[in-house]
Amino acid sequence: MEQHETRQVTFYGEGAKLFGIYIVNILLTLVTLGLYYPWARAALLKYLYEESEFEGSRFTFHGTGKEMFIGFIKAIGIFLGLYCILFGAVATHNMTITLIGVAVFYIGFLLLIPIAIHGALRYRTSRSSWRGIHFGYRGDRKEFLNMFIVGSLITLCTFGIYGAWFVIEIRKYIFKHLRFGSISFSYEGEGSAFFWMNLKGYMLTLITFGIYSFWWAKDLFAYYVNNIRMYQGETALPFRSTATAGGYFKLIAVNILIIILSLGLATPWAIVRAMQFVFSNIHIDGPLDVNAITQTEADYSDATGEDLADMIDIGLV
Amino acid sequence: MYNFSVRYHDGRLSIAHDATLTLMPDHWLIHYRDPSGELTSVRWTLPGIVTDENFSHLFIFRFGEFPQQTIECKDGNLPESLKKRYPERPFFKRRVTDIFKLNNTTIAGVAFTVLMLIGLGYWFGLPWLAGAVAARFPTSAEIKMGDTMYENMIRAYEVDDQLTAKLNDFTKAIDFKTNYPIRVTVVTENDANAFALPGGNIVVFEGILRKMKTKEELAALLAHEVSHVHYRHSLRNIFRSLGGYLFLSLLLNDINGIVTILADNSNALANLTYSRELETEADTKGMDVLQSNGIRLQGFVDLFALLQSEHGDVGSLKLLSTHPLTEERLRAAEMIVRGQKGVVANRELEKYWQVIAAAEHK
Ligand SMILES: [Zn+2]
Repeated sequence: MEQHETRQVTFYGEGAKLFGIYIVNILLTLVTLGLYYPWARAALLKYLYEESEFEGSRFTFHGTGKEMFIGFIKAIGIFLGLYCILFGAVATHNMTITLIGVAVFYIGFLLLIPIAIHGALRYRTSRSSWRGIHFGYRGDRKEFLNMFIVGSLITLCTFGIYGAWFVIEIRKYIFKHLRFGSISFSYEGEGSAFFWMNLKGYMLTLITFGIYSFWWAKDLFAYYVNNIRMYQGETALPFRSTATAGGYFKLIAVNILIIILSLGLATPWAIVRAMQFVFSNIHIDGPLDVNAITQTEADYSDATGEDLADMIDIGLV
Repeated sequence: MYNFSVRYHDGRLSIAHDATLTLMPDHWLIHYRDPSGELTSVRWTLPGIVTDENFSHLFIFRFGEFPQQTIECKDGNLPESLKKRYPERPFFKRRVTDIFKLNNTTIAGVAFTVLMLIGLGYWFGLPWLAGAVAARFPTSAEIKMGDTMYENMIRAYEVDDQLTAKLNDFTKAIDFKTNYPIRVTVVTENDANAFALPGGNIVVFEGILRKMKTKEELAALLAHEVSHVHYRHSLRNIFRSLGGYLFLSLLLNDINGIVTILADNSNALANLTYSRELETEADTKGMDVLQSNGIRLQGFVDLFALLQSEHGDVGSLKLLSTHPLTEERLRAAEMIVRGQKGVVANRELEKYWQVIAAAEHK
């Protein structure tokens, strides 16, 4: 057995193709007054997946515009409902009712975030595959919701300090319930280490007028990646980040230049550069038997979470 | 010719088998040697085969219930053979997204054309649409909306009731050729300013009245504002800016923050250009009204001169935000004054003007 076995995902996407997809998506979304949006999103995800290669095989996104359209309509319905409550309450010109309406609106919104994350994870993972083996997410919505509410409340009460522990807790939960066929995952980060890293990053960024932010970003990325473990049977395979502050600086500086100089038109090229940066800096170390992963997850098709997450603008982990 | 080399995934294990696909009359046969060396074959009946729609040059097919079996084929001859073998069963549908399989130059060309279309839509289509929507907006609803806006707005000002009554008399002595109920309100403000609301309310600041020397100036101001009302400029402006906002937010849905900020600002700028066009239109139409009432067009020249001396072109940033440069308007008006036809004496107008002038100059 090799001593230094390591594997990577390679991204082969091209700016020109991504640009074409964006343009057509934009045009059709405009012409259909936004209704095409779910199909546009499905096309984009499909492209990004099929340009990502691991061990000679590409990933596949199985989601369809139709599935996502149903989710999209449900998500819009939920939002409309919340806004109706808010405007209805304000329209009564009654102070108490207005306050209750506003409270319901914000609490509803807050509850939507974990529901959206949960739903999006369920849908996205079940629709992702590699060599025919599907990903999956086995988290429990109620459990996640409870964790989220308690965590948010403590974070509020501690003026955000608990936020570091909260983020780690969420990552731990998500990775613990993530599956790729017979492969499982875990996240080994710790709240206190994460907190001190952020505090240090914040302070040094202030002192160095922002220059340190590239090191901070590198640390955050490394902390995220280096704490992920993948398990095949008894074997634990650690993830390893090779991103450097210099690499980060180059990525960000060039991408900003690309976007500004092209008035945003070259954004797809910037996205491709970012994807390449992320994937080329993640290594999976250890002896993985890529031919022995078995199918374990069941089918799942409710896309509401995916679209909710999209509308609240949560970047998925 | 009906044999193709493919990669096969059985949907249970992540192993990739190098297999051969044979196109049989009523099914597909996939055969390969499994790791132990044993020859294995799988049968796919035609109705269960699904083509995976993708952007690459790889042909992917799936079969069966979840978890599906998959084959991937790189052979460019496959579609041709499929068509020949199964003429009544199309495996590849034509789709919009097929253009992504073309080369990058073609994609860039298509993208460029689409961008041009989007640009044209934004610069020409949107103002046209705003005008069309505004034109179809029922007048009664517009008046109602304008009156509500007026009631909310006027609270912030102190109304001069006497001057208001006098100015309304003056207004009624001119035929503005509009069906909107024109109602003028004078408020005690020192700025040389005036504005029109949709549906016929016009608010005149006392400051501008005080600085006027002739009835023609006042007639010019009113004609300009009434043109805003009559040609529904407020509505058109609202629809244009709302449309622009919707357009850009749909357009930039997936793109990042920097671009959104850039776009927001350029939309505001585009809207500014549009409202300047509307101002110019109000000037032109207002001059037509004076012309047909036999009032001297010199009123416009004097009005612009007044505005210029009042704000100056450097200090007029506030005015500049919605109105064209006063200098330009002044020049345009001077040109048109030369073409003035018959001036008619309007004794009624003169009478009301004297009343206003007396009140103003005490
Ligand atoms: Zn005007």
